[in-house]
Amino acid sequence: MDIELGVEIPAFVVDVADERMKTVAALLNDSNPIHWDVESVRRLGMGDRPVNQGPNNLAYVANALIAWAGGDPGAVRRLQVRFLGNVFGGERVTARGVVTGVRREGGVALADLDVWLERAEDDRVLDGTATVVVG
Amino acid sequence: MPIALADLEALVGKPFPGGTYTIEPYRHWLMTDAFGAVPTSEGTAHPMETYYGALAGMGLSVDELFALVGATAADGPMFGETTIDIRQPLRIGATYDVSGSIESVERKEGRRAGVFDIVGFRLELREPGGELAAVSTNSFIFPRRD
Repeated sequence: MDIELGVEIPAFVVDVADERMKTVAALLNDSNPIHWDVESVRRLGMGDRPVNQGPNNLAYVANALIAWAGGDPGAVRRLQVRFLGNVFGGERVTARGVVTGVRREGGVALADLDVWLERAEDDRVLDGTATVVVG
Repeated sequence: MPIALADLEALVGKPFPGGTYTIEPYRHWLMTDAFGAVPTSEGTAHPMETYYGALAGMGLSVDELFALVGATAADGPMFGETTIDIRQPLRIGATYDVSGSIESVERKEGRRAGVFDIVGFRLELREPGGELAAVSTNSFIFPRRD
């Protein structure tokens, strides 16, 4: 794969659905009601929509990287992010990334990227770096 | 009163109980479907299994982890940073040994946020033979209200 520095990977767009938060809460034994009970969210003064699980937001970035790498989940070797804000049910978020370096290590080609998840261009909810196997 | 900083610092380096984590095929399908990936139940696991497997296999529930550092979910803990470091891609259906400990503790005070602690912990997933497969490093931010 020929990769130029500064290249943006295809955006991964997600419409965050309340029902999917419930599935994740059940699978992960996540007892925090802010992910499914709107009344709990209101009581905490956080609005009137369920709050997406933070790791879901990271998963969207991983999905963008997997798609860019040709669909192989094993291509993602490293992800380091800071959580900057909450995402709520019904919102649309977009995972993006830009290539900052390409190198060879242990016989494989690796791409380093800056990655982030945004509501809008100036409204990031997560950002960080990633390393992906590209050849 | 929040937990004394000395008590918190004494936790650094003490191992969690640990345990094992199996990437159940049905569960992997449902999870990947839930976060918008291509749902799969065989082959290489989604990278997020490093994070989920580490937490599920550390031998403490998230609530118990919070209690260990003198907090509850009602205190409003927040994610700080997360690193997923995969040495060998995880496999759906495989079982991994999980171990780890609290790695760092830092108490800070902000003008608006008040006193809060940043607690970092590191968890490793290993093949049954002991070979390191993946590392999950995380930090939580705990507001400390009087």
